[in-house]
Amino acid sequence: MDYDVLVIGSGIGGMESSIKLADMGYRVLLVEKEASVGGRMILLSKVFPTLDCASCISGPKMSSTINHPNITTMAYSEVQGISRTADGRFQAAIRQRPKFVDWAACTGCDACQKACTVAVPDQFNANLAARRAAYIAFPQAVPKKAVLERAGTSPCIGACPAGIKAHGYVSLARAGKYEEAFQLVLDATPLVGTLGRACYAPCETECTRTKLEGPVPIRLIKRFAADHHYEGTTPDGPAIEVAEPNGRTVAIVGSGPAGLTAAWQLARKGYQVTILEKREQPGGYLRHAIPTYRLPHEVVDADIANLTSLGVQIRCNAAVSDPEALKAEGYDAVIMATGTQVATRMDVPGEDADGSVNGLDFLDAVANGAAPDLTGKRVVVVGGGNVAMDAARVSLRLGAAEARVAYRRTRAEMPAHHVESEDAEAEGAVFELLVAPTEVLTADGHVTGLKLQRMRLGAPDASGRRSPEPIPGSEYTLDADLVISTIGMSPDPAPFASLADKRGRIAVDPRTLQTSVPYLFAAGDVTAGATDITRAIGSGRRAAHMVDRWLTGQPLDGFTALDDRLETVTHESVLARQTAFGHRHPISGDVTLAPNPRDFAEIEAPLSEELVRSGAGSCLDCGVCSECQECVKACPAFAIRLDEHEHLSDVEVGAVVVATGHKLFAADLKPEYGFGKFPNVITGMQMDRLLAPTRPFNTVLRPGDGKVPERIGYISCTGSRDKTVGNPLCSKFCCMYSIKQNQLIMGALPLADVSMHYMDMRAAGKRYEEFYVQAQDMGAQYIKGRVSKITEEPNGDLLVRYEDIEHGGNIVEASYDLVVLAVGIQPNRDVERLFGEAPLGLDEYYYVAEPSAELSPGQTTVPGVFVAGTAAGAKDIVDTILHSGAAVAQVAAHLEHHHFSEEVPV
Amino acid sequence: MSTPTGQTLRDPREVIREEPLMHAPIYAALADGPATVPEIATRIDHPVHEVVYWVMGMRRYGLLIESAEADDDGYFSYRVVGQAEPGATLEECEYE
Repeated sequence: MDYDVLVIGSGIGGMESSIKLADMGYRVLLVEKEASVGGRMILLSKVFPTLDCASCISGPKMSSTINHPNITTMAYSEVQGISRTADGRFQAAIRQRPKFVDWAACTGCDACQKACTVAVPDQFNANLAARRAAYIAFPQAVPKKAVLERAGTSPCIGACPAGIKAHGYVSLARAGKYEEAFQLVLDATPLVGTLGRACYAPCETECTRTKLEGPVPIRLIKRFAADHHYEGTTPDGPAIEVAEPNGRTVAIVGSGPAGLTAAWQLARKGYQVTILEKREQPGGYLRHAIPTYRLPHEVVDADIANLTSLGVQIRCNAAVSDPEALKAEGYDAVIMATGTQVATRMDVPGEDADGSVNGLDFLDAVANGAAPDLTGKRVVVVGGGNVAMDAARVSLRLGAAEARVAYRRTRAEMPAHHVESEDAEAEGAVFELLVAPTEVLTADGHVTGLKLQRMRLGAPDASGRRSPEPIPGSEYTLDADLVISTIGMSPDPAPFASLADKRGRIAVDPRTLQTSVPYLFAAGDVTAGATDITRAIGSGRRAAHMVDRWLTGQPLDGFTALDDRLETVTHESVLARQTAFGHRHPISGDVTLAPNPRDFAEIEAPLSEELVRSGAGSCLDCGVCSECQECVKACPAFAIRLDEHEHLSDVEVGAVVVATGHKLFAADLKPEYGFGKFPNVITGMQMDRLLAPTRPFNTVLRPGDGKVPERIGYISCTGSRDKTVGNPLCSKFCCMYSIKQNQLIMGALPLADVSMHYMDMRAAGKRYEEFYVQAQDMGAQYIKGRVSKITEEPNGDLLVRYEDIEHGGNIVEASYDLVVLAVGIQPNRDVERLFGEAPLGLDEYYYVAEPSAELSPGQTTVPGVFVAGTAAGAKDIVDTILHSGAAVAQVAAHLEHHHFSEEVPV
Repeated sequence: MSTPTGQTLRDPREVIREEPLMHAPIYAALADGPATVPEIATRIDHPVHEVVYWVMGMRRYGLLIESAEADDDGYFSYRVVGQAEPGATLEECEYE
């Protein structure tokens, strides 16, 4: 047996039970769902009727609980299920939630929460104020350790094939930390400016805000961060962490996004990296294919300068015909990242005539100063991908009279990104759909037109798209001066023939990107076929990671950026966190699209800083923690562990104490009192927080405007003794905590008038009546009569309408600065799921049933399971402690009767 | 002075989420010296009850500090930490 007793919940009932059982010599496992023990009592101001400081009473018990040699505390953990074995013991499944902080290292210094960029309601301050996603539960927390609240991976991050932390840089931009936002992207790739312009932003497609009015402008926020950095950059390059040189060398063949990213990552790890590029300038398709109106060359140059500033050498005009020979030249490893350089041929007559080119050669010529003059020419582009759209739009910019795009399927099957095809159309490209080329027509060796055959869609092919089938006798001709073929591209297998698969790509292990030659890795489109920039970057990151692992003798695993992310949170779970969402006008890029453009000026304008902040401000913080890494940088103990996982364990125990406490009545279920509608109507728990030494405000202030209230009204029995909300029970301590607060308010605010509207004053307890009289003597007014309604005055004051029973029963109105609803309690129904198929018996109000409460308090319907405190019904602190003592006695008797305990109690 | 009357309260989670976004405007509103919550609300043109969340969040994490005394209308003034205000001290917590 692992423990004698499992205690669930560490409020005052759970702590009292644990300490007493531990003092008796039993081994106790205490499971607490929050990051600190203490429950609700530690959050109170003072306790009645003694007005002792709640912290002063609770604090030592919390410390005793944590430090007792016979108590093992699992904080931030949950009991997932309990089953009873044949001999009467219990098997409990426990989930230790990941804290994402190494508690052995954490000093509780609070640097992480000060650095955190995500603000959420603080449940430990009754939602009156903000805490951070990185937080210490409260100042007196025991243990005083930080946790990171992470609901999962944010959809924007989960959607990024490059593993870039979009939520992180959005939250940094929201806080005005643009350089930090740039650095966060830079941690993944040097191509920050490139991605800010040419990425197709799968992050925005998955953004939860799309379910409301439109996505966060994530890509343009990144562009702003990049522009902000480059405008202020220094010759020293980016302020990125770089390891000392390790003496190893890596050759990277190809300087597209995969190669550049792999080089960047390896250089930061201390490798001497050389990029071998066969063209005159580096950048791959970023420079040689994507037109400058989408991605200016100076942006690519600035991104590449990040690399060279780390000492990466880029050797251009350096074609590699034998990558294995690089090993002989002294490189310790080689990464092939040569992309897809070979255009697929149309295989139709006349294809090689003057005036018939492939899209890659056409765009390359334009990018390198060899653009043809197309003034007045008729251009036909064959294909429906992004290269086709680029070719058509570039043709128009070169003066073409018309640019037609001939595609063999319909617009719906077109592989081009919808933005590209829409923009091409807006600039004047004309789509010829469901047509396929059959011949390039020529005269005197020059192109004169293109013969096309009409198609219809048949059955779906292997890609799921319906296959085009020719319609017999449907051929027709388009006159053309230039035909541009863009029907596909593939790698050039010549340099790696022995490593190529049947599609001409380099064959690799998809997780390690290692080829059959151990020192030879491959990344990007040369392994996967033509994809996009983000996938190439992700592949480059992976290759660099694996090369490092291989060269340092480690297993080829551990690529956490993409392989070990938390499960992505669902849109539904994010939207369920709020009752309503304010509308925000979606922010998108300002793209200038005019028919027949004639220049290569960048078509998309940057966002202003104001729009960047506003757009970032619409982020819903789906994963809660944004992964912005600010806490990682701030923690002096290096205690942040973002790769931590939950830990599941099974324990065997001899008895169980359920001390799961209660929940507070949701005051908005009494709409006539205006909670949630009038900011100056608060609950009793909120007032206790305002009165506590660790209060969220600087003193007792009303939340509506921060004013010190002078007239404070209480309304008792809010949600208790009230059949209209389904709770006829008295919550037993609301009268007394209200009286306690009345006295404390008069101490804190000597000029304040305090009145309480009550039905019956229930002060049944030792010195409770005297405590009530004492409050009256201090000046508190107690008005017998039910409040029917609260309305709000223009200045935020509140008009309370009530029946004045003791003065003739008249309907009267009183004005207050602040109204406190003395809310009752409700059962914590989380307990219902604990015992699975043999559930714990509940009473008719859903509290844990005590079949013999008079003679055997604490016993439940399941032998060996006991209940302590308000899980069994309303109790004040004194009664909770007494009830816990009774439960402890029952536990000890049970264990001794069954001789479960392996040690004799002391 | 902004008042909450007649306005639909936004979900507190939504308001609180905007706190980092509001730091800069609030700093700007306090650039010339301390101000009360209603004064800040007027300067940044946001509902005063929402500004309470933001000011208290900034105060909690050490970005703002309150005046020693409330004014005659019952409002404390808040200033940016590091800005001089003679005689201002942080109220000490009471633990007795």
